[in-house]
Amino acid sequence: MMLRFKLNGEWIECEAEHNETLLDLLREKLGVKSVKRGCNVGECGACTVLLDGRPVNSCLLLAPLVEGRSVETLEGLRDKPIMRELIEAFVEDGAIQCGFCTPGMLISAYSLLSRNPKPSEGEVRRAIAGNLCRCTGYVNIVKAILDAAERLRGED
Amino acid sequence: MRPLPRFRVHRPESLEKALELLATLEKAKPIAGGTDLIPLMREVEVDVKHLIDLSHIGELNFIREEEGYIRIGATTTLSDLVASELIASKAPALWEAAASMGSPQIRNRGTIGGNLCNASPAADLGPPLLALEAEAEIRSLDERRWIPIGEVFAGPKVNSLAEDELLTEVRFKTPPQGAGSAFEKIGRRRAVTLALVNAAAYIEVEDETCRVARLALGAVADRPLRMGEAEERLMGKELSEELIEEVSALCGRLVRPIDDVRASAWYRREMSRVLSRRALLKAWRRCAT
Ligand SMILES: Cc1cc2nc3c(=O)[nH]c(=O)nc-3n(C[C@H](O)[C@H](O)[C@H](O)COP(=O)(O)OP(=O)(O)OC[C@H]3O[C@@H](n4cnc5c(N)ncnc54)[C@H](O)[C@@H]3O)c2cc1C
Ligand code: FES
Ligand code: FES
Repeated sequence: MMLRFKLNGEWIECEAEHNETLLDLLREKLGVKSVKRGCNVGECGACTVLLDGRPVNSCLLLAPLVEGRSVETLEGLRDKPIMRELIEAFVEDGAIQCGFCTPGMLISAYSLLSRNPKPSEGEVRRAIAGNLCRCTGYVNIVKAILDAAERLRGED
Repeated sequence: MRPLPRFRVHRPESLEKALELLATLEKAKPIAGGTDLIPLMREVEVDVKHLIDLSHIGELNFIREEEGYIRIGATTTLSDLVASELIASKAPALWEAAASMGSPQIRNRGTIGGNLCNASPAADLGPPLLALEAEAEIRSLDERRWIPIGEVFAGPKVNSLAEDELLTEVRFKTPPQGAGSAFEKIGRRRAVTLALVNAAAYIEVEDETCRVARLALGAVADRPLRMGEAEERLMGKELSEELIEEVSALCGRLVRPIDDVRASAWYRREMSRVLSRRALLKAWRRCAT
């Protein structure tokens, strides 16, 4: 089927299968590789994208259902001020080890900071509760998100 | 992990059209958020040829108060419930249950209708909606009926709807001033899909006396259950911590849990007692008398 949706701010048209997930479409047909396949059943968050501005698991989303909607991935968000600050803080705070969870983690963090510029530690933890990290133990990830928020507020 | 079956996806934009598709297409199934259905299709063989997407039907997505009822459309997401002031203030048990579910990603897609129609004995919206005495509107092309929420559940992961029917709305009477409700659950990270036990309580107190008490538990039988016997022991009485303790112990004996890979029956009984007590106490404290 022909599918038309907004990918990272630009309308695109592409061919998609009815029984294909957005994750498959992005990675295999559209070359959007920041979106990772971990569990494929909604538990790890590695495949997180923004659908109309809200984080969702692309492994649970059938591609035909994004018709007419907006999908954003790290490729399109990386130059936004909030994301730049987050990426910098992740690097500085050692919040990345193998990096597999990082894109999904960044998207959840981005979504949080876009709505809430001054989150508490609890709010940060709740926002990334759907993103598993096998390496870091989360402490540095939480710290990086709080640091990025602080810098964005100009309270360096 | 299996590949998804070879279905076709239909995206009706009206309820009428969706019901028509369900009535005419063979082996058709509705899909709302897909957060239960997609993992299920990856796990077991599901015989389906057509998926009818409900997420593009605007008229099924609403939360409003009308004529003494709080009314919630079937495709209202868990995030919509959590964002609703009305739900937070009037039905905290439902709010707490929605807020406890899955992750932000899951709550952004998962719907109230999907949670009920998936009919898991552990569905987190089951106990609070039972405690609120909610009803579900079930529609097909030529019929429309209201059933008590408990009747949506027909057995573990089996709902009572016919193949051409949709759950379209959930409603319950707006709790009066002074009513209190609460939700409690115990689960494990990663077993996120299923609570080990969950509980919801609803209480109305007037002149120090408990006028209405409703308690429901989930994951302790083949479907979420009201604890009628326990409720009777509370109604007409002056509430106290001792009475609640006693009634909660009774709940531990009333439930009929099973042993499974996630928890033993003994543990579930114990948790039924503990969660009944917590939910009742919290609901009671919320009764602004
Ligand atoms: C990682 C993860 C965590 C989760 N955590 C929880 C949790 O903590 N607690 C919990 O209770 N659940 C949890 N779930 C399960 C699921 O997210 C919820 O049950 C959710 O509310 C299902 O809604 P949905 O719209 O995604 O359902 P779908 O998957 O779209 O549908 C589920 C079933 O209901 C049918 N259906 C859907 N809508 C209708 C309708 N309106 N009328 C008739 N039939 C309909 C579908 O055909 C399907 O059989 C979790 C799932 C995942 C993957
Ligand atoms: S790959 Fe989607 S949540 Fe794990
Ligand atoms: S850095 Fe390896 S999974 Fe998070």
